[in-house]
Amino acid sequence: MPGFDFSNYNRNATLHAQGVPLPKATSTGTTIVGCIFNGGVVIAADTRATSGPIVADKNCEKLHYIAPQIWCAGAGTAADTEFTTAIISSNLELHALSTGRKPRVVTCMTMLKQHLFRYQGHIGAYLVVAGVDPTGVGLYTVHAHGSTDKLPYVTMGSGSLAAMAVFETQWKQKMTKEEAVKLASDAIQAGIFNDLGSGSNVDVCVITEEKATLMRNYITPNQREVKQRDYKFKRGTTAVLNEKIITREEISKYVTVHELSSDDDVVVVEKMDIDA
Amino acid sequence: MKIAPPSSHSTSATNTSSNTTKGAPSAPGLHDTLRSSLSSTNDTITPSGTPQLTSSHPLESRLAQWQATQDTLKMNMLRRNFGIAEPVRRGMEAKICKEGEWRPACLGGSAGVSGEVLAGRDTEISWEDVYRGDESREATDFHTEMEGKVGMERW
Repeated sequence: MPGFDFSNYNRNATLHAQGVPLPKATSTGTTIVGCIFNGGVVIAADTRATSGPIVADKNCEKLHYIAPQIWCAGAGTAADTEFTTAIISSNLELHALSTGRKPRVVTCMTMLKQHLFRYQGHIGAYLVVAGVDPTGVGLYTVHAHGSTDKLPYVTMGSGSLAAMAVFETQWKQKMTKEEAVKLASDAIQAGIFNDLGSGSNVDVCVITEEKATLMRNYITPNQREVKQRDYKFKRGTTAVLNEKIITREEISKYVTVHELSSDDDVVVVEKMDIDA
Repeated sequence: MKIAPPSSHSTSATNTSSNTTKGAPSAPGLHDTLRSSLSSTNDTITPSGTPQLTSSHPLESRLAQWQATQDTLKMNMLRRNFGIAEPVRRGMEAKICKEGEWRPACLGGSAGVSGEVLAGRDTEISWEDVYRGDESREATDFHTEMEGKVGMERW
C-alpha cells in the first residue's frame, strides 16, 4: 500500500507489551508566537530542539517557508512539522499555478487542517500560520488534530504560557512593525528563559504587503562563554611507547602517493573543534 | 453521509494464527520477509475492493477507506442536488477515462492525469505520490500484465 507503512506496528506493539521501550521522536519543545501589526504580521520562534531531556539541536530552524508571503512556525514532532509544511507548500504552489492567483493564508490553513485531521493527530504538527495575501493579513494556529484558531496574537508549544503572559500584559491594537517585532521577541525570550523545552536564540519573520523578511538569530541571548581554563595538554604529556616509521617507497607498493607542496591550499582538511 | 470513515480496525492482533499464508510457522500472523517477498500482505486487494490491512493501527484502516468515503460523500451530495443523473454521468466518465488511460507498467504505468482532473485532484500531491509502495516489488513483464488485463488466465 502506498503512503505510510504500518507493517511493523503489530510487531512493535507486541515488543512494547513485553517491556521493550518505544523509540522517542525528536520534539521541538518549543515557544512559537505570532502577532499582527498595522500592515503586516510577525512570527517568531526559539531554536532549541529536544529529544527527551537532551538538547538535540541548539540552533534549529522552526520557521518554515510555505509561499513567498506565507510562513509557518512549527512546534511538536520536528520531522512532522518540517514535512507537513513542505508538502503543503508544494500543494499550495500547485494550487496557485492552477488558479493563477497568489495563494491565500486561509487556503493554506484549510489545507493544513484537512491534512492533519485525516491523520487523527498521529502527525504531531502544531503550527502557527501567518501571511499577507490580497484579502489582508492572516494569522492562524493549527493543532495536530485539525482544530484552528484565528486571533490577533497567538502562542504555541511548551513555552506558550510564558509567551502568552507577555502578550496579555503588553499587547495593544495597531502596533507599528518595530513594536510588534520587539513584543514577539520578548515573548520568545520569556519562553527561552522560563520554559525548559525552549532555549537558545530568537528567530523572527516579518511579513508585510511588500515582502517577507526572515531574521535568523535575531537575538542571541545564550552565546557560549569562553572557558576560564584551558584544557589543552602540552606536547609530550602522553609517553610514546613505540614508534614505527613507514617510508613512502614502502607505502607506494600498496597505494598511489601524490606529492603535495606545503603552500598548496588545494587540500582542505576538516578542522576539528577543540574545547578551548 | 460520512465525512470520515468509521473506525473498523481490529482491536486485537495475534501472531499465532492467521488466514494469510505469508508468515513463518512460528508466527503465522506476522509477515515473514525471508519466506515471502519484501512487500508485505498489503499488496493484496480483498474482493470488496479495499486493500488488506497489515496492522491493527486505527490510522491504517482510516487512511485505506479515506478516499472512498470522500468520493461517496461527494457523489451523494451531487445526487441530492442534481438527481441521480449527475453521479451516474461522472461515474461513467471516470470509467471511460480509466480504460483509455492504461499504459503498460514496463513503460512506467499511467500517471492517471485525466482521472485526477475529473476527480478534481490534479493539483494535489500527497505522501502516496512520494512513497509509491512499489520500491521492493519486482516489475511485472509486459506479457504477464497483458494476459492479466484481458483475463487470459481464466480461459
